[in-house]
Amino acid sequence: MSRRGVGLGAFANRTQATQSYATHGANLRSTHTASLQTQLSVFQSLLHTFALEHSSTIKSNPTFRAEFARMCNTIGVDPLAASNILGGDMNDFYFEVAVRVVELCRETRSENGGLIGVEECRKRVGKGKAIGSGLEVSDDDILRAVRSLQPLGSGFSIVKVGSKQYIRSIPKELNSDQATVLEVIQVLGFVSVSMLRLNLKWEKARAQTVIDDLLADGLVWLDAQGPEKEYWSPQNLLGDSG
Amino acid sequence: MTTTTTTPFPFPPTYNFPPFFTPQPNTTTRHSQLEKWSSLIQSWCRHHRQYRLSLIDAVETPLFHNAALRKRLDLREARAIIDWMAKSEKEGGGGRRAEWISDAGGTSSSGSLGNGVGQGPKAVAWIWWRRPEEWADVLVEWVEGTGQRGSVLTVYELIHGEGAMSQEFHGMDIDIMLRSLNVLVKRGKAQIFGGEGQEGVKFF
Repeated sequence: MSRRGVGLGAFANRTQATQSYATHGANLRSTHTASLQTQLSVFQSLLHTFALEHSSTIKSNPTFRAEFARMCNTIGVDPLAASNILGGDMNDFYFEVAVRVVELCRETRSENGGLIGVEECRKRVGKGKAIGSGLEVSDDDILRAVRSLQPLGSGFSIVKVGSKQYIRSIPKELNSDQATVLEVIQVLGFVSVSMLRLNLKWEKARAQTVIDDLLADGLVWLDAQGPEKEYWSPQNLLGDSG
Repeated sequence: MTTTTTTPFPFPPTYNFPPFFTPQPNTTTRHSQLEKWSSLIQSWCRHHRQYRLSLIDAVETPLFHNAALRKRLDLREARAIIDWMAKSEKEGGGGRRAEWISDAGGTSSSGSLGNGVGQGPKAVAWIWWRRPEEWADVLVEWVEGTGQRGSVLTVYELIHGEGAMSQEFHGMDIDIMLRSLNVLVKRGKAQIFGGEGQEGVKFF
């Protein structure tokens, strides 16, 4: 049975005990940190070697690349930010994709109002302009590339309309009515005021306003040669570089 | 116009996009539409080795009439597009890729049909899938490539001769050939002599 110290000596004892606990704790912590640091650096170098060793596969195989990126993500390494660990390759790859995405968005902005399907974008980037310059990319790569642009304040963002993802290269929000109409166009190919009234039970004025807004933003094209005005999405025009 | 190619013209995806045939109300979209039409008209004419386009005839051809979609470009819209193509890029046009033939084709000695007789103004236009200056470059390249610098050729030879059979300017409209040659004359790279219909040319 230990007995609690009495008298002034007990105070001195207690401070001593706390101190030794503290030093012991600090010791433990530093050894832990040291060992963790070693582990981390070993891991980093392994990851680095891995990235270097498989750099060509990472570049050429979209599935492999996506898996690699996912692995990096789970362990908290951003393949884009961690260029010093992974070597410049990953970075260069996504930046190259990003540059092409930006180019494509700029080129087609007057045609599609700055809204371009991720899928269409991938197909077009994959094709490339010159012979042999095609990059095999996945939707995931495109999304990652667009996200890599965000720190630049580029105004590029990913919008989801229905089941489809789009890259919006003009910083303008779609309101919910506009998104709904774009979704209808995805399904039916085109819309007209009467179709919107019939399918969505919208008032004529509402349907007309949404369509006029989409038209003003260049997101739909007008076909006035039918019995009723029809509004089409220019998404399928891609690949028509003239 | 004679058609030298037999392969069907490969239409771009835009051609099957119904709104393509309606003038777009949005100016940005409209610009994109005009660009697409300009490039389509140019490649159509190039494919068919056609240098002048008579709009009244053309509105009935597949170029301006998509029978499958049952969409067509009317004469007024076709004119608007050619007008745009005829303007320079500075004026907000399509880089002078077309030019109205104002007098009813009377100076043409090629005797080709559809030269605009009696069709009034803005009925027929040159379509410059290559501008005269560009043709001039093509000619110079050919002349140098075949070692004919300094020699004398007749214009007829240039257009119909066997030596230039494989060239893009083979069978070219004589008016355009003369215009292109005149570009070279101005550059001091050629000299034209002889009377009308029997012109000869010397390249320097």
